[in-house]
Amino acid sequence: MSEKIVISPTSRQEGHAELVMEVDDEGIVTKGRYFSITPVRGLEKMVTGKAPETAPVFCQRICGVCPVPHTLASVEAIDDSLDVDLPKSAKLLRELTLSASNLNSHAIHHFLIATDIVPEELFATAVNSVGEIRKTAQYVVDMVAGEGIHPSDVRVGGMARNISELARRKLYTRLKALVPKVNAHVDLILDLVEKKGFPKGLGVVNQPLFASANIYGDRNFFDLDRFTEIMPESWYDDPEVGKRACTTIPLFDGVNVEAGPRARAAKFRGFTEKGVIAQHVSRALEMKTYLSRAIEILDELDTSAPTLADVDFRGTNKLGVGAIEAPRGLDVHLAQVVDGKVGFYSALVPTTWNIPTMGTATEGFHHEWGAHVIRAYDPCLSCATHVMVVDDEDKSVVKDEMVRI
Amino acid sequence: MVLGTYKDAICARATDKSIQKVSQDGGIVTALLSYALDEKIIEGAVVAGPTEEMFKPEPLVALTSDEIISAAGTKYTFSPNVWALKLAVRQYGLEKVGTVAIPCQLMGIRKMQSYPFSTRFLADKIKFVVGIFCMENFPYASLETFINEKMHSSMDMTLKMDIGKGKFWAYTDEEELSIPLKETHGYEQAGCNICKDYTAELSDVSTGSVGAPDGWSTVLSRTENGKSIFDKAVEAGLIETKPMDSVKPGLGILEKLSDGKKTKAVDEIKKRVEMGLPVPF
Ligand SMILES: Cc1cc2nc3c(=O)[nH]c(=O)nc-3n(C[C@H](O)[C@H](O)[C@H](O)COP(=O)(O)OP(=O)(O)OC[C@H]3O[C@@H](n4cnc5c(N)ncnc54)[C@H](O)[C@@H]3O)c2cc1C
Ligand code: SF4
Ligand SMILES: [Fe+2]
Repeated sequence: MSEKIVISPTSRQEGHAELVMEVDDEGIVTKGRYFSITPVRGLEKMVTGKAPETAPVFCQRICGVCPVPHTLASVEAIDDSLDVDLPKSAKLLRELTLSASNLNSHAIHHFLIATDIVPEELFATAVNSVGEIRKTAQYVVDMVAGEGIHPSDVRVGGMARNISELARRKLYTRLKALVPKVNAHVDLILDLVEKKGFPKGLGVVNQPLFASANIYGDRNFFDLDRFTEIMPESWYDDPEVGKRACTTIPLFDGVNVEAGPRARAAKFRGFTEKGVIAQHVSRALEMKTYLSRAIEILDELDTSAPTLADVDFRGTNKLGVGAIEAPRGLDVHLAQVVDGKVGFYSALVPTTWNIPTMGTATEGFHHEWGAHVIRAYDPCLSCATHVMVVDDEDKSVVKDEMVRI
Repeated sequence: MVLGTYKDAICARATDKSIQKVSQDGGIVTALLSYALDEKIIEGAVVAGPTEEMFKPEPLVALTSDEIISAAGTKYTFSPNVWALKLAVRQYGLEKVGTVAIPCQLMGIRKMQSYPFSTRFLADKIKFVVGIFCMENFPYASLETFINEKMHSSMDMTLKMDIGKGKFWAYTDEEELSIPLKETHGYEQAGCNICKDYTAELSDVSTGSVGAPDGWSTVLSRTENGKSIFDKAVEAGLIETKPMDSVKPGLGILEKLSDGKKTKAVDEIKKRVEMGLPVPF
């Protein structure tokens, strides 16, 4: 006899989502469906018809967890549409911003899973460690991009300004001093994840790796011809779920994919493990990748070099692609500037890629582990939501006009 | 209190000849900011820096004494120093910032410190604010009118501008030109007519020429921090002082001007309110 277990909303993640699991007599999940129930973000519609510089300013507000990746994906999409050649220093400063921001974001996830894996006596240690890493990482974003949360100085054509030598030396010194702390933090997390005793094989999926680059992101990876998007009704075989799910299902080469730290590690760092433990391990290890890249950039940065290119805002009609490796996966923004205004805009954000994959990842194990599988992906729903609930009574999603490219 | 709250009033000037040569009055602003920088009380200061155009300042995040000195001298037009404070703690990387501000800018700074909207992590990094006295400020075009049209000189020829003894002065290599202050009336920015603060009451230390003899400044130490920095700079021999009651014209004139500014502003505010115009206080 099959029974349905529903977790709604799933907790310690950004936004609201539901996990519906069909389980057998032993409580083992035979079918897992995960879907967003967060209302529409709508920002793409808001920027249409506006000046191109508006897009990054609006779109960074898509999500309060990933404002930096969204700023960068948005600005890169506009840059690409306007055919801008970025100065070298601007590229470095953007990558520095992302590295620091992603380091900060991964630390936040350890705060979210603390009650899952950290024993009472280590709780203060773990939480303080998260706090310390975040403080330094966000300080970098503050200084380089103007604001830690909604950066004001990432501009179409580059960055508003370079940092001073004093700032460069300060950041370099502080990030160097952070190395032993991050190393200790990573060791702590790896140890705690191991001790948690997640069942072997939990959360293993075999979907294609959707990762464009080791760190920053590569727009050439995102081939629009290989991308399709379908409505939830045709993806979920449960009509109730299909009706209520608020995101479209993005497919690459016709299948659902895996994005995020493990996908990047597997594709670019020779990482071979899969599943829940592998998600946690790769995310923790990636903190070191980000930190060392940030230090490397601060070492080579020429603080007297220009950071802003001349931009012709009239546009070339080209469909620009911004592809940024956000903490939770590849964040793609598409923008087309026509006659000096944004003519078309669409964002395909990290968690959207993982949503169809996360549900099935719960299958084959006891439903008690279901929420752990979801949290291992660190989902972030508010930016992922893409379609509109039009009937408030039954929460059904009956119009799909916001999703067509 | 007509001069705001202060702990000490004293007549002073910088002892360093290289500061005296370029400063407006006693070089107090330049000496104090340089001292604070040398003593690592601040890591840099936002000042009204020079630009290509004479007497048209632009906020400068100064990281060295030389840069602070390059900004010495009064520019009687706007330098939005408050704007650059955020720049100083962001891309310039300062965690201890000093600045120089006219009274209205100080109101902005103190308000921003109380309500830090769009200025996260800035309030607590402002460590030292030197205020300068201010009766009014002019759009750049007004200065051009005074110099070019009324004095028949040019900006490029002008070495220094000054207000004092009822006149607006412009010094060139050869001449001391002046027009009566009355002739500048109406050329100031409209907001100055409702401004009640003459002596930078919200500063740590404020300073101006009024009350002191030529080449000297009147200094009001206002906060604990301001007084301590000023006193230490005096102790270090960077600033020399004379008791205020030993100099002419003395504090009385400052009190008179400050009182006059407040009274006139209150009248003007009343007038504007009666006409239904918005006033910020
Ligand atoms: C618009 C204006 C009106 C003034 N009115 C009076 C007055 O009525 N009575 C009086 O006694 N004093 C007045 N002052 C102050 C006076 O002119 C001197 O600036 C003051 O005495 C300091 O001189 P100092 O030699 O100590 O400073 P200095 O060592 O010469 O340094 C002057 C400092 O002031 C800064 N500065 C120059 N111009 C501006 C500006 N426009 N905005 C902000 N900062 C600036 C410079 O960055 C520099 O750091 C006025 C100043 C201004 C800017
Ligand atoms: S008079 Fe007041 S408002 Fe006008 S410039 Fe001076 S301080 Fe500012
Ligand atoms: Fe998000």
